[in-house]
Amino acid sequence: MDSCTHKTPLTHKTLDCGIELGCIDLPDRHAVAMEFRFLTGTADEADGLFGVARMLQETIDLGTENFDGRGISDAFDEIGASHSGWVGREASGYSCLVLPEFVERAVELQAEFLRRPTFPAEKIEVSKELTRQEIHALDDDPQSLADKYIGRQAYGAVLGRHAMGELETVERITRDTIVEHYGKYYGAGRLVVTVAGNVRAEAFEAILEKQFSGFGEVRQSGREPYPITFDARRVHHMKEAEQQQIAIAFPGVSRTDPQYFAQRAMLAVLSGGMSSRLFTEVREKQGLVYWVSAWGENPRGDGMIFMGASTKPERCDLTYETLLREVDRVGEDLTVEELDRAVTGIVAKVETRGDITRARCGELADDLFQFGRYIGPEEKVAKIKAVTVDDIQKYLKEHPRDALSVVTLGPRVLEGAEVVSASESATGGQG
Amino acid sequence: MSDPYTLHTMDNGLRIVIERMPHVKSAAAGFLCKTGARDETPDLAGASHYLEHMCFKGSAKRDWREISVDFDKIGSTYNAFTGEDRTFYFGWVPIDRIESQIEILADMMRPSLPNEEFEMEKKVILEEIAMSKDSLDHVMFDFALERVFKDHPLGWPILGYDSTVEALTRDQLHAYYQTRYAADNLTLIVAGNVDPAQIIEMAEKYCGTWESNGGVAKRLPPAIQKGSANKVVERFNQQIVALCYAAPSGSDALNDTAEATASILGGSNSRFYWNIVQAGLSPSASAFRYDLTDCGLTILYGQTEPEGVDKLADALRKEAKAISESPVDEHEIQRVKNRRRTTLAVEGESPYHRLVQIMDDVNNVGDPRTVEQRLADVEAVTVDSVSDFLRQYPIDGEGFLVSVGPRDWPGTSSLNV
Repeated sequence: MDSCTHKTPLTHKTLDCGIELGCIDLPDRHAVAMEFRFLTGTADEADGLFGVARMLQETIDLGTENFDGRGISDAFDEIGASHSGWVGREASGYSCLVLPEFVERAVELQAEFLRRPTFPAEKIEVSKELTRQEIHALDDDPQSLADKYIGRQAYGAVLGRHAMGELETVERITRDTIVEHYGKYYGAGRLVVTVAGNVRAEAFEAILEKQFSGFGEVRQSGREPYPITFDARRVHHMKEAEQQQIAIAFPGVSRTDPQYFAQRAMLAVLSGGMSSRLFTEVREKQGLVYWVSAWGENPRGDGMIFMGASTKPERCDLTYETLLREVDRVGEDLTVEELDRAVTGIVAKVETRGDITRARCGELADDLFQFGRYIGPEEKVAKIKAVTVDDIQKYLKEHPRDALSVVTLGPRVLEGAEVVSASESATGGQG
Repeated sequence: MSDPYTLHTMDNGLRIVIERMPHVKSAAAGFLCKTGARDETPDLAGASHYLEHMCFKGSAKRDWREISVDFDKIGSTYNAFTGEDRTFYFGWVPIDRIESQIEILADMMRPSLPNEEFEMEKKVILEEIAMSKDSLDHVMFDFALERVFKDHPLGWPILGYDSTVEALTRDQLHAYYQTRYAADNLTLIVAGNVDPAQIIEMAEKYCGTWESNGGVAKRLPPAIQKGSANKVVERFNQQIVALCYAAPSGSDALNDTAEATASILGGSNSRFYWNIVQAGLSPSASAFRYDLTDCGLTILYGQTEPEGVDKLADALRKEAKAISESPVDEHEIQRVKNRRRTTLAVEGESPYHRLVQIMDDVNNVGDPRTVEQRLADVEAVTVDSVSDFLRQYPIDGEGFLVSVGPRDWPGTSSLNV
């Protein structure tokens, strides 16, 4: 039986075809999870064509040299494989979950649409129409809309793009621009494949070599960080709604920074379980919110801390002040018992998620993306267990929240915030 | 394969259901209380959900702070949720902490409902209701059930209304609790790498003194309405349309056929996806089951621009008519079965997923089904069973059409907000 406390049966290598492969062989599992991650995301989109990366992902399996869209979906269904795609700021992923006996066929089908898409013109037009509607629908979802605005404000013009793009940029996307984007960014040199489950590494390598030999640019690329332009402002977006959304961002440290695990533990103290500071102080003691959270994001080589809450407009200022006060307070009166509890939560989640094959594949993919090597649960658990109260206080001292990027959205302007009109909101609100 | 279940009923009526999963290193435990929004009187709308919140707010042994601290001390992934006919409290932990997990959950099932916490939690729940009103999906779903189950408790929103939550008193909630949380209306469910005899010992230790009350009041099935209604909410950009039809209950022999039919119509690689989404009519069109112990609905649903809602509703109806008039293709059924085989294999890896599936089975059909039994039930779906289902529960006639969004469409029984 595989165990988080035993050495993980891992293969990590670059194949002749150019693909970087990570494989965790878990012979007692009943399924295989794989991810094909291209090191290209919205940050690579050409000016004026924001949304092209996602539209590429949405249409890549809607027609290939050998199948129409329905045909390839039927072929995946013949083997019971579930497959899906996503586009992020720096990467685009295609996941597949399949029974062990169908792994080879699943890779063949992944290769079919990843290598030989035809991007039928009529499907591009449909995708444009659907994206327009989704952009309108995003406006009906205040929390997602606040996420979009804080992402743009915290990360800046390159890394802060929203995957859907904007109405005017979506209009400019054509089949030609999608094909051009595909040709530039989809190739073996940017492809990292991770797989976990009941699969033998050597056999899997052979399948990949067979299916992906000669796939685009083989030279490795896409592994450099993108620039972040942090905009320390307080901006309010007017919107009719029952609740006010609050989103706060401030710079953190990267996954490779020696202080990363102190930051990770600090976030768990703030927003781990129900005994964490935000849940206790904002919700349980004052009843200000139903939802409140803090989390970290890590673009390659960097880090950002986010806090979010939604509350009725008249309680927005108090909620905002409480959120900030609680970050400061962690640096002032954190106890050993509180830290132990936060660390216990992180370690226990590593152990329970270890039972899930998909989670093992996802963890491997993230490790290869962030570190270029598999870190694995053992090393992470050891590092998080080593964090002390002094480490967190040192981290907070060296990374004070003296520059904040704040977005509020709703009917009431947060005290001291500048107001952005609806049209500015749509185009970026960058002043 | 040997039966992985241990079923046991304690002297006080508390039922215990255990699934042994020797291949995993974690375990999940939960208490199912057969109580939900449908058990409330109109003035108590939202009480079941309020009670779920209050179970985290103190017991004879712990105050609210100690409950959350003790959960976090064992590294639990924990929460609770309330539905129309059930409330479920659960925690998922590394295997060596399962006793602590069961002890904390058991303690919560005997809440003290402290007055000051009752008032504080009211504010939190009113925020939750406000958040729900900002979601087009939630507004539509609450409105649809209110109209389809007119005047039946299944029509109240699970969260309750602002007015009923504001008016609810601690004594009313305590009285409601006493009628619903007796030992014989609760089930302890455990899934993971556990020893069943030890789990039963734990249950005796932590729940043995609980009293039964001889059973709860019988639930009455709803009359399912036909017609149409819409709610104008001008601040939304998009319009949702939903067509609701009577369907078998979650305990009916046709349940898996109904699920498969919904998947063929509106799941992945479905008729809706290729004929509606890929026709550009809606970015999200789906068909899904709403299943309770004594009734069910098939809901055909889509979201679009306000001016396109007529076309979208026509397209949903056209697909419903087509599947009703011509037998489904054998390949369509096989695709559903193939997908299910994979998802069941994956869900079988995780004690948490098994816990929720067992809870669903225990609530709907009384006993748990193994992964293999679940798969066999899906394998039993045929072209003929789909036709039988659609004959018994037609989706091509008059159902209940609901729309929510900025447009006053279809304009009957409209309610402006």
